[in-house]
Amino acid sequence: MREHDLDLYRRIEAQDENALELLYDRYEKLLFSFAFRMTNNKFLSEEVVQEVFTKLWTKKGMYDESKGKFSSWLLTITRNTSIDLLRKKKETPYELEERDALLDERPSTEEVVEWKESSERICTAVKELTSEQQEIIELFYFKGMSQSKIATTCNIPLGTVKGRVRLALKHLREKLSNVQERGVRE
Amino acid sequence: MTKNSCDVLLDYFNDQLTCEERKEFEAHLQICKDCQDELKELQELTADLPYSSEPIEPSAGMRERVLSNVLQAENSDMAMEGTEAEKNKTSNERVTEIIPGKKVNKWYKPLVAAVLVLSLIGNGAAIIYINQDEDVADSGSETIRDTIQRMEELQPSEGVSAQATAMMIEQNKNTNLVVQASDLPPLEGEETYQVWVVEDGKPYRAGTFVPNNNGLGAVSYVINYEGNHKWDTIAITKEPTANSKTPQGNILLSSPL
Ligand SMILES: [Zn+2]
Repeated sequence: MREHDLDLYRRIEAQDENALELLYDRYEKLLFSFAFRMTNNKFLSEEVVQEVFTKLWTKKGMYDESKGKFSSWLLTITRNTSIDLLRKKKETPYELEERDALLDERPSTEEVVEWKESSERICTAVKELTSEQQEIIELFYFKGMSQSKIATTCNIPLGTVKGRVRLALKHLREKLSNVQERGVRE
Repeated sequence: MTKNSCDVLLDYFNDQLTCEERKEFEAHLQICKDCQDELKELQELTADLPYSSEPIEPSAGMRERVLSNVLQAENSDMAMEGTEAEKNKTSNERVTEIIPGKKVNKWYKPLVAAVLVLSLIGNGAAIIYINQDEDVADSGSETIRDTIQRMEELQPSEGVSAQATAMMIEQNKNTNLVVQASDLPPLEGEETYQVWVVEDGKPYRAGTFVPNNNGLGAVSYVINYEGNHKWDTIAITKEPTANSKTPQGNILLSSPL
């Protein structure tokens, strides 16, 4: 039976290497893909994953159930680590084209299939947003930009950024539930 | 304070505040119901977004590299409470620095790491994208430029039969260095192999590694030394411990750059 994330995390806190390995295998691809979505760079993405697991391994008491679902929490840590590394590397950016990697999709487990489905679902919903809303989600969430950077990039007043981000995210939520309903009816 | 506290919520969420600003906001968050609600809402509204990422295959050999580096991470990290200490650490130290005091001659899964890195080099060399267009960096977009890569075969010193390849991805200040070596003589005790980049006779650390039982070793390292450097040589030495500031051992392999 699949061991709960929380149980694995407790074992990792107790320095159980086997548990670390199990949790790593469970999340490697998701965290790496998400880090790649954020950084667009495989070197950085590997560094992100390594930092996330280093934190899990070396800092006890990072997570408890008050912080919500373990997977959501882990993704938040991954996002923050990506933003942090991007900031450090900002002065010397570079780009790797990863065509081979993008083509090589092997949904080997049930989870990856599920995730792929939700990925398609979310992408469908995102495409239904206006291009301004898509852009603001991209800049805010995936680029992790500051409000002032978003204001300059989009050429909008600073004071309106927060409202626009919230609105775009709320619209996305509505679209998502529509997509879900359509999916059920089909 | 120049800004209304509630206004920095997004920057807090995106980790864009200075340490001081963050502490200030966290104090505000304790007492501001609006910000608490908005933060919660923001977390809920964005919870699905990571799953919109297209699934991609992790890099070759990544599992072995990451797990061995994680397990080698010094547990004194535990003593470093709070995010500031963490932020002050440069990221390249985490990738490869082997911290004294912990057993270093322990690859997590010794078998394939080095071989897989070599295949990364193979693919990597083919897919690196060179863009030297200077005009793209306007309008605050996150456009990327200046990628040059090179690959060097390191030459063994006399009486040494080991082989090594180094791939460098150079940017204006940083260099990603991936070194893969084979036929390395086994190490004893605390010994490690150390990669150096040399400028005018002055060596700088550029990755530490321990080979597996088959004499294969690999390390990937982000060279991130302050100032401008023109590396003229890359070299690998055997060091008595993982923390040599300058080379103690003889050069086993080297190449001019
Ligand atoms: Zn407030």
